[in-house]
Amino acid sequence: MMIYFTLNGALVEWEAAPSETLLSVLRSHGMFGVKSGGCAKGECGACTVLLDKKPVNSCTLLAAQVTGHQVETIEAMGEHPEQGWKKTSGLHPIQQALVESGAIQCGYCTPAFALAARALIEKNPDPTEHEVRTAISGILCRCTGYLKPVQAILRAAAVMRGETVPPIMGTPETETPRWPVSMPPAGDQPASAASWPETTSQTQVMPKIWTSQDAREKPRTHIGRPEVKVDAVKLVQGKPAFSADIEKRGMLVAKVLHSPVAHAWIKSIDLSESRALPGVAAVLCYKDVPRVIYSTAGQSDPIPGPLDAFSLDRKVRFVGDRVAFVAAETVEIAEQALHLIKVEYEELPAILDSRDSMRPGAERIHDEPEFVNFADSNPAKNVAAEIRIDIGDVEKGFAEADRIYEEEYAVPKVQQAHIEPHVVVTYWDEDDRLVIRTSTQVPFHARRILAPVLDLPVKRIRVIKPRIGGGFGGKQEILIEDVAAHLTIATGRPVIYETTREEEFTASRSRHPMRIRMKTGVKLDGTITANAMYALSDTGAYGCHALTVTGNTGHKAMALYVGDGPYRLSPNIRFYADVVYTNTPPAGAFRGYGVPQGFWPLERQIEHICRDLGLDSIDFRLKNALRSGELHPFSTAWSEGREPRPEIVHTVGLEECVRQAKAAIGWDQKYPNADWHAVPGKPHLRRGIGVATVMQGTAIPYLDMGGASLKMNDDGSFNLLVGATDLGTGSDTVLAQMAAEVLGVPVNDILVYSSDTDFTPFDKGAYASSTTYISGAAVVRAAEMAAERIKARAAKLINKQNKGPEVNEEDISLGNKLASTRDGRSVSLKEIALNALHHDDQEQIMGIGSYYSPVSPPPFAAQFAEVTVDIETGKVVVDRLVMAVDSGIIVNPITASGQIEGGMTQALGYAVCEEMVYDEKGRARETDLDDYHIFRADEMPALETIFVQTYEPSHPFGVKAVAEIPMDGVAPAVGNAILDACGAEVLDNPATPERIWRALKKVTS
Amino acid sequence: MIRAYYRPKDLTEALEILSRTDGEYRPLGGGVTLSQNQEQTVSVVDLQSLGLNSLTQEGQFLQIGATTTLQSLAVMENLQPGLRSAIQSETNFNLRHQATVAGALISASGRSTFGTALLALDAVLHWLPDSQDQMLGEWFALHQPPMNSRLITRIQIPLNASLAFDTIGRTPADLPIICAAVAKWPSGRTRITLGGFGSAPILALDAPEPGGAEAAVRDALSRAGDQWASAEYRQDAGARVILRLMGQDLTV
Repeated sequence: MMIYFTLNGALVEWEAAPSETLLSVLRSHGMFGVKSGGCAKGECGACTVLLDKKPVNSCTLLAAQVTGHQVETIEAMGEHPEQGWKKTSGLHPIQQALVESGAIQCGYCTPAFALAARALIEKNPDPTEHEVRTAISGILCRCTGYLKPVQAILRAAAVMRGETVPPIMGTPETETPRWPVSMPPAGDQPASAASWPETTSQTQVMPKIWTSQDAREKPRTHIGRPEVKVDAVKLVQGKPAFSADIEKRGMLVAKVLHSPVAHAWIKSIDLSESRALPGVAAVLCYKDVPRVIYSTAGQSDPIPGPLDAFSLDRKVRFVGDRVAFVAAETVEIAEQALHLIKVEYEELPAILDSRDSMRPGAERIHDEPEFVNFADSNPAKNVAAEIRIDIGDVEKGFAEADRIYEEEYAVPKVQQAHIEPHVVVTYWDEDDRLVIRTSTQVPFHARRILAPVLDLPVKRIRVIKPRIGGGFGGKQEILIEDVAAHLTIATGRPVIYETTREEEFTASRSRHPMRIRMKTGVKLDGTITANAMYALSDTGAYGCHALTVTGNTGHKAMALYVGDGPYRLSPNIRFYADVVYTNTPPAGAFRGYGVPQGFWPLERQIEHICRDLGLDSIDFRLKNALRSGELHPFSTAWSEGREPRPEIVHTVGLEECVRQAKAAIGWDQKYPNADWHAVPGKPHLRRGIGVATVMQGTAIPYLDMGGASLKMNDDGSFNLLVGATDLGTGSDTVLAQMAAEVLGVPVNDILVYSSDTDFTPFDKGAYASSTTYISGAAVVRAAEMAAERIKARAAKLINKQNKGPEVNEEDISLGNKLASTRDGRSVSLKEIALNALHHDDQEQIMGIGSYYSPVSPPPFAAQFAEVTVDIETGKVVVDRLVMAVDSGIIVNPITASGQIEGGMTQALGYAVCEEMVYDEKGRARETDLDDYHIFRADEMPALETIFVQTYEPSHPFGVKAVAEIPMDGVAPAVGNAILDACGAEVLDNPATPERIWRALKKVTS
Repeated sequence: MIRAYYRPKDLTEALEILSRTDGEYRPLGGGVTLSQNQEQTVSVVDLQSLGLNSLTQEGQFLQIGATTTLQSLAVMENLQPGLRSAIQSETNFNLRHQATVAGALISASGRSTFGTALLALDAVLHWLPDSQDQMLGEWFALHQPPMNSRLITRIQIPLNASLAFDTIGRTPADLPIICAAVAKWPSGRTRITLGGFGSAPILALDAPEPGGAEAAVRDALSRAGDQWASAEYRQDAGARVILRLMGQDLTV
């Protein structure tokens, strides 16, 4: 049928099937700024368009419905300000504000925000923060925590009203103070999320930054500045930057048939009807593809875990496991083809509770003869990994304790819920090399791991990673690439496979749920004498990341409190874990990588101990916490399945983090204040405040390696090629800032390309909070190599001028696009480039660098939370989160604070609402973003980020990691705040209303 | 799968198409649910050109056109705050611009806050072609009889009844674990409805006076356990919420 409507001001007449959605039609006509979140109920809003000036979801509208209406997409909102000789009006003020304010992380939902903001401001030029939050509440963002998008929209509205807005960098009054300084005033707290005060962010997009005296160093030009993200302009325009934003002639659509049963043999499978369906190009089952055992975990070689997966197998091990692959001309045909596959299952007993996995006589989940063990994995016992770490003399420590505290805790399975689903496009290129364009955090691992699975040598595979619409560990997995690749091999045609939101929940990866037992020995003065944790970790049906995730639960969380006095010199710490198989969807990597699981029990246990002993919980934490110059207690015991080597922790800003965050939230005014805990006129409500202190790591020592190459162009600009994988974090930008700092050029003279296994150097990928530290050091090395050549050539050129004494390269410094001598002579980088490329003794000025680290310097943080609890129903509202973080020197305060805000928001879900539950048949309760609720813009607590800068000596610019640590403290801080509010001791997170209600009943009884 | 799309210009044409017998024909409101239909092969009859999106006060009643969007209703002046709150809890801002009032009721599950609120207000559905009125409670109880050849043109709610509404979820904007609405008429008539579970919101009390509300709620929730919450919890939390709502000043 024909549809007629006005698209971006022009009348269009398009053909559309009656069942086709507006989203599908728009994208098929090149409107790639309209994104798909794979959802079936319009939950995410990434596909937002304006229909007659109102924001609607194009995925839940039939294309035919818009006949006669006006539709607007991001494509018509603004343009790149410079397009050669053509003059453009540039970006729309809303787009400009989103770019400047750091509101763009992965950028997948950015076009939707821009359109929703436009609809709002055109109708209401002076919106309140509440109105802005409502206007964008139909759009889910998993990256930002919404603060910066809200700030940007308020800023844009001010600009559009003709007002002058303050500079992003701040005014002199908000410039970064240094320690020691007088304490900031106590924070004012909102009564609840509903009464959130108008944002201060309209005038202060920059976070507070406190810098240690030790961290003072020479002034930097780009390090520490809120440079605009290098990919922001394209993302704000909705350019076709993501994996699915590509058209290939003859491209087939892939779909996967998933198992409806939790554990079974495939007794018979009949593909004949499916294959006979017109429009079907291929249908594959386990009989059709090579039987190659591998691990889907995207990790370095050798994979530190069991090899236990096949592309397709005769056995299915969870509801959602793969049964068959289909490639067809359209989505509809592919889905029809799935329905025509006839499968007979011979069901086996299913293990759905991790406590049953190791029981004698338990059904064995992995009995394939090809299974490859790693370390202590034992498939006969359904054990994917086993960890036994004893540091010091733990039993002696317990014997010396005045009190022993033991408790059991549980943490849930949760989903990464990146808004861009997993997407891959595969095709043969003209050299018969297989090209895999995929939304992955680990392009180089993907190529290495896929080669044997596809029976291709590594050299015949090229993996391209375009922009990624969020990953959070979910894309540190070789999860879907083989599906499309097998189908391309089978058909010879390009194939796209894009998972649905339901598949993200039922057939993707998640955070390992754990049951954790804590035992802590304490002296009455608050000295920890011994601390032990046992974790029963559920890896689901496959052991991807089983050992390493769970190892980090102990390695990071249990390392924080070493004890005091003699115990500080020789801490007594035990971490034991069993990582077991169950017939549930596999767990895997998720931001924080096992560490949030460890801090929930640890920080709840600490709080309990302090209350029982009548000790100040903050003093207790700082008394026992690791300090600068001390040995990381786990560094001699465990290193992700590899040889451990001792590491000294040089920078610990934890005490200052506590001081700053405590002051910001007004702890001293609230915690001891009974009046503050009451809500006037509402006797059923109680306020509470809680704290948690946390640490993480920065990369994996002696393993994680990143490479960079850099070449100089005729105009003095540089191409920086990195294998590092910016999944929305802004890592490309901070790498560009580092290169710009060394080379003395503006950041926009560094053209970053990441990543393509054919063109960019190796990088292990985006995980373990490593990119700024590891890949950044590689970039610095590459830039320094290029800088050396620039300086040498500059000295020659300056000497040729004969305007002063002769200089050599040591006399040259780079800055402002110039190579200059101390006496003021200079040549421009453009002159140097032209000279090098065209004039004298020609050479390509370039640099290469790679880096791996012997240490993993931990970032530290203090997390505070305020809540209001309904003591009759257990309903809890989190009112405020404040986090002070020591991540070393902050390269880009805007992108870094965006990481903290977004991380705290994900962690807030972990605290109160996110969990994945299965019924007695192993079927998922959560299959969409309605049931699996992630926070919306209009229900957020106030967020505040403070950076406490230390100078990490192991990095050229003193940096440590930022990305993962915000995941660690929110849940325990919220749990502790609930305890403070009403005495409810919730041991299993998330703290749902019923769990709080049950805990309250225990208090009252 | 949607086989065909029709956009009739008037009610007569709409009813004619809906009465066809060569397959299943469904009225299409905002498309939020039907656009995702994959299971059955249906033809859809888009009601957007029928002028069914008006809000009209008739005596003590508000007549809500079937294709009025949830957002249009939510921003109506003088709407009961409880009803506005229930609409805002029903779905997000984008979908409120698309979803129609009738469509939201037709596809409502027990977790529908809007359905819970309208059930408390004893809303009436007006059907064509037989021009029949049907109580919303009856519709929820019968739970979606075949739709062929019929469509809702308007929904009637009383203007002289006040409404209080509250919901408990894991977060402020979460789907309800339990939600409750209390409607009171000047006569003293009181209706209490509950949602957050099951296939449709339920009526716990419809009485000339509010007495016995807590017992009625506990009784209504005695078997309300599911994967999301136990019946025990819903009984206790539901009773607490109802007592608070009953205590509110609900002057119209």
